[in-house]
Amino acid sequence: MSKQQNSSANPALTDDGPIRRFLNATEIDTRMIGMIVALFAIWCAFDIASGILRGNFGGLLGGSFLTPRNLWTLLNQTASIAVMTTGMVLIIVMRQIDLSVGSMLSLVAVAGGVLQVYQLGPSLGVGHPAIWVLAIIAILALGTAIGAFNGYLTAYAQIPSFIVTLGGLIAYSGVAFLLAKGETVAPMDKTFKVLGGTIPASWIGPFWTWTLSFAACALIVFAIVNGRRQRVRFKFPLRPVWAEVTLAALGSIAVLGAAAVVNSYAWPPKLAENYAKENNITIPPGVEDKAGDAICMAGDAVVRCLEGLTLGTGYAAPVLIAFAIGAIMSFIATRTRFGRYVYAVGGNPEAANLAGINTRWLTVKVFALMGFLVGVSAIISSARLDAATNALGALNELYVIAAAVIGGTSLAGGVGTIYGAILGALLMQSIQSGMGLLNLPAAFQNIVVGTVLVIAVWLDQIYRRNVK
Amino acid sequence: MTRKFLTLAAGALMLGMSSMSALAAGKTIAVSWKTFQEERWKTDEAAIKAVVEAAGNTYVSTDAQGSAQKQAADIEGLISQKVDVIMVVAFDSDAILPSFKAASDAGVKMLSYDVLVEDPNALYVTFDNVGVGRIIAQEIQKVKPEGNYAFIKGDKGDPNATFLFQGMMEVLKEALDSGKVKNVCETFTDGWKPDNAQKNMEQCLTSTGNKVDAVLAENDGMASGVVAALEAQGMVGIPVGGQDGDLAAINRVALGTQTVSVWKNARELGKVAAEAANAIADGTDPTKIAGVGKFSGGAKGVEVNAILLAPTPITKANVSAAIDAGHITKDQACAGVAAGAVPGC
Repeated sequence: MSKQQNSSANPALTDDGPIRRFLNATEIDTRMIGMIVALFAIWCAFDIASGILRGNFGGLLGGSFLTPRNLWTLLNQTASIAVMTTGMVLIIVMRQIDLSVGSMLSLVAVAGGVLQVYQLGPSLGVGHPAIWVLAIIAILALGTAIGAFNGYLTAYAQIPSFIVTLGGLIAYSGVAFLLAKGETVAPMDKTFKVLGGTIPASWIGPFWTWTLSFAACALIVFAIVNGRRQRVRFKFPLRPVWAEVTLAALGSIAVLGAAAVVNSYAWPPKLAENYAKENNITIPPGVEDKAGDAICMAGDAVVRCLEGLTLGTGYAAPVLIAFAIGAIMSFIATRTRFGRYVYAVGGNPEAANLAGINTRWLTVKVFALMGFLVGVSAIISSARLDAATNALGALNELYVIAAAVIGGTSLAGGVGTIYGAILGALLMQSIQSGMGLLNLPAAFQNIVVGTVLVIAVWLDQIYRRNVK
Repeated sequence: MTRKFLTLAAGALMLGMSSMSALAAGKTIAVSWKTFQEERWKTDEAAIKAVVEAAGNTYVSTDAQGSAQKQAADIEGLISQKVDVIMVVAFDSDAILPSFKAASDAGVKMLSYDVLVEDPNALYVTFDNVGVGRIIAQEIQKVKPEGNYAFIKGDKGDPNATFLFQGMMEVLKEALDSGKVKNVCETFTDGWKPDNAQKNMEQCLTSTGNKVDAVLAENDGMASGVVAALEAQGMVGIPVGGQDGDLAAINRVALGTQTVSVWKNARELGKVAAEAANAIADGTDPTKIAGVGKFSGGAKGVEVNAILLAPTPITKANVSAAIDAGHITKDQACAGVAAGAVPGC
């Protein structure tokens, strides 16, 4: 603290290098930079390794990891865990834990499946437009209710959340089993499936991807301008203008770069062909090239080629949902009274209580929010699999907690960021997907993921000690 | 005093013997289940109970709730209750061996049901798991004799995952050696989870540039994940194999998105095992029971008497077999299938 005052009072005395000055001015979280660097290093390593082991599929470094297709798939694979981990951050920040999210996911997904397939399907007629709406409402409501129940037991019955949710972990999967008698419930409603990202209807295409991305850039600029105005209003120290501009530029480049990547993943040729035929789109003539993503006519046959009809996928529904949840949860955590209370309670529960925060009610609300997010993930994962089974969420709690912790959430409470946790989820899924590309056995994947978890927390400890 | 005791003991023995002979039909047959957390065991239980009770015997059961210790205690309890035959669905086939020995020593006849326990005195009744893998491979090969095959295997800790793969390899060995069939992806799937199988399949398709012509999944749950991954690439319809006779999988077979689901009719297995148990309880030598052969394909290579049942492949041609057996309703099997497009629908 005193050191900081010194340096701001006498900037000429500091001997910080340009990097440190840049980081101080922009107020970028150095942890986040570390994670992003680690992420890129892992991606590059997998791309090179997959190129050596399995051959070149157009990856940036000659493999199959850094291809638009794999990165696009990676985002979809991460969505469900990423959504849940945003809630887990708040739970852990409040010095609680929720071990039941995986079982809860199984339960609400199976309940939603049973409702769609066995109840609403036969009574309203399969494919009725009300089915998916009712199913979503039911899943979200059930998730919220179960979460609130966990929270109630923790806050009012004063049972430690570890025990409450450990009980839930065991019990909810049992309920899920009974609901569907252990069967796989499938197939989901056609419209519901759109939320899973596996069918063309859930890909928004390049136009909307660019539109949303530019909107996101505008939002970033607005947030920076608005933040500066607020600082002026409350007489807070300001960032230099060049730092503000750099931040806006970096944010926009990241958003637009991601958009460019997902847009350059073309529809699989078979699907493009079907789409063109259904919508009477003329397929241009061309020369066959097996490596191409476009389709064209060679005589009477539709073939793959380098130039011709290309349909970009853009973002898929689950990824958009995860982005939206991430943005909303970040806003809730940092900009709302509710969010600040959560961090206050996590930092010092007794002080927060004495300051007049109703910690019990707050606990119920945080667990209910977690339940709601589990509902969102249940929708994504059951729509993605096009089936609901009681194995769907098994072990997810471990990945969700691990993602939050890798992302810098401290189990001691009071510390943690939403974006960090989402990056943590992406990092873990990258490792799993990468090893999948290399065709490495699952046992290997478990070893690496477990090791990464421990190393990440270890590095974090070193980092925190040095910062202090 | 001593004489009095001896007379008493002799009397008790006589009484015991006479009561035993009076109960010639009234034997007690016990089943030690490893868990009731999976639906299928209820089906097995109903079939076993029906056959046991029809023969005038008594059915008792215990549930180990997924714990090797509890199962050992269960069997001890059954031995002290002096049941005649114990059928065991072992949770841990090695840890349960001492219990098998104790039971045999106490004169109780043992039977291992569905899960192999390598005790030479126990009769092993199961579906031929290597055979299941063989059938999956045969059915896939029928429709796609050449090309790139992907193998989505079950959990690495489950011996059945290896048995199934062995069976597939037996059938495909020749084609693999000659290069007609290429093994392009081969992954174990943690916990046999469908969503893990979906991710594995997505990675397989990415790493091969979609050059996959057929997928052999080791169960139907994982096949559902495979089909979802194929759908995202517009590749639905390439041959996909699985097993279990899951209701959703039979529907997929009728729809044509899955080629075969090898179905192990649990009713059939329960019936055969219960009949064998009845016979053994009456003192029949296990080797004299119809269908009994020798089996030594376990991890330790111990030779046991075994009844291996052949499973039924459900393909488009015989969806009706599962409907007729009452395993699935016609509505469930044929949902989304045009009437008459598939035999039985």
